[in-house]
Amino acid sequence: MKTIGIILAVLGIILVITLISWGPERSRLSSQESKIFRMNLGSEPPTLDWSLATDSVSITVIENIMEGLTRYDEKLQPNPAIAKRWEVSGDGKTYRFYLREDARWTDGHPVTAEDFEYSWKRLLDPKTAAEYAYFLYDIVNAYEYNTGQLKNAGQVGVKALGPWILEVNLKKPIVYFPSLTTFIVTFPQRRELIERYGEHWTDPDRLITNGPYRLKEWQHEYKVILEANGDYFDGRPQLDHVVMFVVNEPTTALTLYETGDLDMVRLPPEAITFYQHHLEYHRIPVLRGYYYGFNTTKVPFLDVRVRRAFSMAIDREELPRVLKGGEIPSTSWIPPGMFAYNPNIGLKFDPQGAKRLLAEAGYPEGKNFPAVTVVYDTNPINNLIAENLQAQWRRNLNVQVNLENQEWKVFLKRLKTDTPMIFRLGWGADYPDPDNFMVLFTTRSGNNNTHWSNLHYDELIANAASETDSKRRQQMYDETQRILTEQDVAIMPLFVATQNILIKPYVKGLQLNAMEILSLRDVHLTPRSRESIQ
Amino acid sequence: MIRFILRRLLWGIPVLWVVATLTFILMQVVPGGPFDKDKPLPVEIKANVEAKYHLDKPVWQQYLFYLQALLQGDLGPSYKYLGRDVNDIIGDTLPVSLQLGLLSLLVAVMVGFVLGILAVVKPQSWIDRAGMIFVTAGISIPNFVIGALFILWLSHAYKLFPPALWEGWRHAILPALTLGLAPAAFIARLLRSSILEALHQDFVRTARAKGLGEGAILLKHVLKNSVTPVVTFLGPLTATLVTGSFIVEYIFAIPGMGKFFITAVTNRDYPLIMGVTLVYSAIIVLANLVVDIAYAYRDPRVRVE
Repeated sequence: MKTIGIILAVLGIILVITLISWGPERSRLSSQESKIFRMNLGSEPPTLDWSLATDSVSITVIENIMEGLTRYDEKLQPNPAIAKRWEVSGDGKTYRFYLREDARWTDGHPVTAEDFEYSWKRLLDPKTAAEYAYFLYDIVNAYEYNTGQLKNAGQVGVKALGPWILEVNLKKPIVYFPSLTTFIVTFPQRRELIERYGEHWTDPDRLITNGPYRLKEWQHEYKVILEANGDYFDGRPQLDHVVMFVVNEPTTALTLYETGDLDMVRLPPEAITFYQHHLEYHRIPVLRGYYYGFNTTKVPFLDVRVRRAFSMAIDREELPRVLKGGEIPSTSWIPPGMFAYNPNIGLKFDPQGAKRLLAEAGYPEGKNFPAVTVVYDTNPINNLIAENLQAQWRRNLNVQVNLENQEWKVFLKRLKTDTPMIFRLGWGADYPDPDNFMVLFTTRSGNNNTHWSNLHYDELIANAASETDSKRRQQMYDETQRILTEQDVAIMPLFVATQNILIKPYVKGLQLNAMEILSLRDVHLTPRSRESIQ
Repeated sequence: MIRFILRRLLWGIPVLWVVATLTFILMQVVPGGPFDKDKPLPVEIKANVEAKYHLDKPVWQQYLFYLQALLQGDLGPSYKYLGRDVNDIIGDTLPVSLQLGLLSLLVAVMVGFVLGILAVVKPQSWIDRAGMIFVTAGISIPNFVIGALFILWLSHAYKLFPPALWEGWRHAILPALTLGLAPAAFIARLLRSSILEALHQDFVRTARAKGLGEGAILLKHVLKNSVTPVVTFLGPLTATLVTGSFIVEYIFAIPGMGKFFITAVTNRDYPLIMGVTLVYSAIIVLANLVVDIAYAYRDPRVRVE
């Protein structure tokens, strides 16, 4: 009895301590009254250091607390932000950005060209070990400095000419260079802050920013709280606070949206059908392509006729019916919403033609076709797609392919060391220019897992990046897309993804774009009460 | 007694060393590394990153580096959460898991004891059968199903408790129940069989012969002699509950440590994998020690041995 008494006493003490440690229940936040916008980040931001961040979660937070030289407008064109204007030299290799003088950091210091120069050189410093350092490789000596061949950062082609002028020297003309300056890795940084606090300069009590919001609280694994920055050069946002919760499980986030604890939520795929006719439902196409690649060095895909046959045997219209997320079927690689998008490119669904090609390659009616395995990373959506394609190839080519899924990192390792005959991958735009999509399949690209190489393609891609005449540029991308998806068929583009989101009707001014950047700068809440909506 | 505790604590050190070494080896064997991504890094940049974390050194040297830091209580930097040390990450999340784990332990012990005792008061009665149906269900239904049902009924339909988040004690009720019910069922089952066995022993007959009532026999004599298996079970159970549960933390959006048992591995965040594994092992060692002390305290035979 004594033992049980002790156990009970200990548990009783635990209960009391636990309850006391929580304190009084915090009142549930009512978003309209207090001008709070509540959303879900989906996972913990790995870092708020914009030289090191590479993932969409960190980027979502950083985009709302920081401002760079330029920012996108609705058409994804770079518009002035801290740079009020910029000039390009006649040869297209020198950019000069003129900064506005009224932009302030949250501690009152002006944002200067030196802050940009410092940040860009820090990004390129090998000691920073920034994964996105290659973003600036087109700058003179940037590559050499980042790879340690050059020790002197002073020779890198970025320089502050006084506090309000930033000059950038490129190795070759890059027509989309201003687009790069919208990206977080080019945002300015405060040298003294980073030198003083080292890796901990992004802690909430130390971080100094210049965007519409400032970081107020960061409760790791749980929530990030932003508050309006009264000194923001474009005027204080109307919201007082933004609460970004870290809810990993999409269904839980959806429940919290339904109970009124979140004002916006991304829909899990299985819930799209249920909500798609709802007033609060929004579907936004994104610059994110999904494709199947071939290992072009392995039989039977060594033969381009087999690759073509496989691509022609797919009715891509079936995919959105299976996935139900409003995906846009696509036979070309550059996604809609981007310059040089051309839906006429790519091999269209043609089962008869596909069979003929397969017969020409020596496999009439799929006879004697070797065992082929499609490998993809484990994920329910990838499963659905693979099963659908497996059925289509059986139906249209009389060919049996095997499916194999692997854990993400194992899969990535496999791509590099033992590339599967067919593999799935996707690509989301880093900047909204076709170069970002097309450069993936050049011979030296680390993203080209197909082992396919076409020097003419490589050359066209390199030239297109510098081509200022947009008509000629369009023609160059049309030609490269034809090489990639019709002539050599290194990959089979399948579809372009969409974002499926629920937003409460009282939320206004939310900007969602195809780059998946969520700008909360202009968000405001209408005074109608939540109860009257439900 | 103090010598016994000290000896056991010292034994914990080689145990942790073995765990650390095995985990380290397993991590190296698993394909894929922390910096393998769908947008692969240029070779030069990957070299910069790996140099920063000493991953360019031979494996044995990395192992020695790790052990050296570990001896100073430093679990190293996380590869995924940049600028955060594993010590900080565990320091932030373990208290939350501890809080939730202790509450669910409370649920487990209280529900388990009540059901276990009720079942033997009248064996084969409807109470016994209903209790055992509950117990079987509790053990066999996975907790993500139980959690989802709780959210559906108690949160969505009747709005009694919040469905998720971690804002105060009301937010802890559903996750604590979800986490505590399966071990409650297990405890009930253990206790029931252990009591039924004890009821047939000589000292019970003696007690009855002395004219003691059934209630007094059960609570004063039988229970005392039947809790041993439950106490044994409580050790590892406590360690498991207080280090957090991946599933419950996911479903209820709780900022605990449990999710790292899975995500640290999928991210190949080597120092974090080592960190959570070592914390878990250390807590198991401690919990087992407490159980052994409880034995020694309750049962003189153990002390003699």
